[in-house]
Amino acid sequence: MSDGTTSGTDVSRRKFLVSSSAIGAAGLAGCTSDGGSNEASGGGGGSSDGESSDDGMNTELLTAEGSSTVYPISNKGASYWNANAPPSDGEYWGSNDESTVPGWSELQTDKNLADYFAGLYGFEETGQRSDPAYNATVSLSHSGTGCKAVRDGLVDIGNSSGPITAELGLSDSEAEEQFVDHVVGRDGQPVVVSSDIYDAGVTQLTGEQVRQIYQDEITNWSEVGGPDQEIFVIGRAEGSGTDTSFRLNMLGGADAPMPGVNSRFGQNQQVAEAVANNDGAIAYMALAFVSDSVQPIAIDFEGTVFEPDKDAENTIFDSAYPLNRDLHMYTKITEDTPSGTDLREGAFLNMFLTDFGQIVFVEQNNYIPLPTKDIEAEAEKLPEQA
Amino acid sequence: MARTSNEATAETGALARRRRQLRDFVDETEPAALVTVGVTVISLLASVAGFLAVSPLTIVPFGVFLTSAGYGWIRYQGLTAKVLTFSMMVSTILILLLITVFIFVESIPVIQYESTTVFGVTVPGLRLFTQTQWDAVSPPIRYSMVPMIHGTVMVTTIATAVAAPLGIAAALFLAEIAPPTVREVIKPGVEILAGIPSIVYGFIGFTILSPWAADQFRTTGQGSYLFVGIVVGLMALPTVVSVAEDALSSVPESMKSGSLAMGTTDWQTMTSITLPAAFSGVSAAVLLGVGRAIGETMAATVMLRGVPQLTKPLYNAFYGQATLTSLIANNYGEADGLQMDALFIAGVILFITVLFISVGAQYIEWRMHKKLGGDI
Repeated sequence: MSDGTTSGTDVSRRKFLVSSSAIGAAGLAGCTSDGGSNEASGGGGGSSDGESSDDGMNTELLTAEGSSTVYPISNKGASYWNANAPPSDGEYWGSNDESTVPGWSELQTDKNLADYFAGLYGFEETGQRSDPAYNATVSLSHSGTGCKAVRDGLVDIGNSSGPITAELGLSDSEAEEQFVDHVVGRDGQPVVVSSDIYDAGVTQLTGEQVRQIYQDEITNWSEVGGPDQEIFVIGRAEGSGTDTSFRLNMLGGADAPMPGVNSRFGQNQQVAEAVANNDGAIAYMALAFVSDSVQPIAIDFEGTVFEPDKDAENTIFDSAYPLNRDLHMYTKITEDTPSGTDLREGAFLNMFLTDFGQIVFVEQNNYIPLPTKDIEAEAEKLPEQA
Repeated sequence: MARTSNEATAETGALARRRRQLRDFVDETEPAALVTVGVTVISLLASVAGFLAVSPLTIVPFGVFLTSAGYGWIRYQGLTAKVLTFSMMVSTILILLLITVFIFVESIPVIQYESTTVFGVTVPGLRLFTQTQWDAVSPPIRYSMVPMIHGTVMVTTIATAVAAPLGIAAALFLAEIAPPTVREVIKPGVEILAGIPSIVYGFIGFTILSPWAADQFRTTGQGSYLFVGIVVGLMALPTVVSVAEDALSSVPESMKSGSLAMGTTDWQTMTSITLPAAFSGVSAAVLLGVGRAIGETMAATVMLRGVPQLTKPLYNAFYGQATLTSLIANNYGEADGLQMDALFIAGVILFITVLFISVGAQYIEWRMHKKLGGDI
């Protein structure tokens, strides 16, 4: 986001210098309409546009719209994309003396960010920061609105936190005929325990045990194979979205009682701090806050063990894990693109399926990155790389 | 009969005098000034009416008010200043009144929900205080205020037990024993301490004190009324020291000299003359500290557990659940419907409590004036 703004400022500063008579107010106006100036600069790289149209490449603005839950991932991706940072940047792309972006070891390119990902699908590179082969923009509305917008062809990508079948009232086969479902990440909460409990050997609980702990039927770790220690049960703010989904998926109903809770916190940071500072704690929170002193544990749901390991057969990153839900980006199947995903969409979506994208856009926004097998499955839905 | 007619005459007399004063005022003032002030007042009233009606046109009378007030300020400054200061006083009172009314109105639904029938009579809101269960999500949904009142009482009691003896002793030392140079340095220093934001205390409490206490006292997890009370007491300490010191040093020197002349020691003078004479002021200092402790939000919110229930047994200060303020701070973001209204009830209870404490402090101050005459 910040990078997008910076690029906008750069452009307006350039404009400002050219039109030296411009007054301060005009400069300010240029800053605020950074989307507009970005588009203008994208169009301004006319030479690349001209060349690419010779190749028959579509370099229209890539548009996306939908759910506020998917928005942070999608919008951060678009901001990075539009900024097209060079590999010397270090903070947003590439590596330098001070910092390296996560997942850089598998990328290792000398191209700018958008140039690299667009180049994988045959787009011409511009080599200019703030000037990708095509720009991307994300609008914020609701899951249902995003699905309708992609159905009606108003946008290229429809963001939704629920399945499109539920949002548009379609059957599974109808949805499959019309749309391609790209899952970019998951929203959910792993169950975590404090390090003393983890080190004492409690690395797995059953769903039933978690329910009993939160409903005050189990109050000591010794009852689930741990040390003789009272359980410090941490919940989330009463009636909040995380609280409700936990009650629904773990305790059997949105209004299930939670008499076992010792402490409630509103924010992930507070939960992480409380788990780290107290012995015998159990909690549920966003994955981005786990550390050595806050350990995610495996959960056994009716015989399926979901492990906190990306490469395991069943993982807490799976959509089958009851506390998770998929975050979708839908594309539409049309006559021009029978596969459902054209090269522009493919290049953009592929960015989210790299280690870099999963860490920077998904995990850093407190969402759950996809396990390895899902990334492979998602990558197969994208068009062939050039 | 005769008396009533007399009273009536007196009343009409007062009314007539008022009318005469008004007429004199109108006669003496320039018509142009009168018109300006009249327009200012009427446009201000119209702005208030527009504001209450949430009208987008409110800007028009408000603009008229600003213009006429500006014009009046230049042409008839004395009169305009009089009208402006008066209207500012009225608006201050009006704003506070509106806020109070709003809090009460918002809490009505939950008062109705928590009605109980006693001996065939339905008493609204009684169940808020007669049972101790708070559960906003799973049935039976109950919004008892008892756990929060218990928490506030616990925290305030412990805080007072920390702040009162420490504060009074420090104030006595500063006022009576310390050499002037020490007092001149320490007194402003203590007052600066009062300005430390409460989140700083809360942060230290959450990250350092609470985990340490949980470890030492072997409690299940962190969060205890004892340590919240200690932290809040330390926060209230500067207020207590500062106000108590003022009260002690305003005891007339003549009273102390008289006592010393009778052959008492310094300490005897302090305990039998200075402290009793300043007793009201010192009590007011402690009450102000108590008021601060009751209203303290940030430190309590981050250090407490945020699960509204009573501790077992009731005097168990090693577990800290929730206070009236922390309940609001914890839940305002997620609450809706009745739960939100229940938060307003907590606000109403706080409002009434602090009101009584302020009135108490004022009363003590008034008594002090009466007792010691104009010297204090």
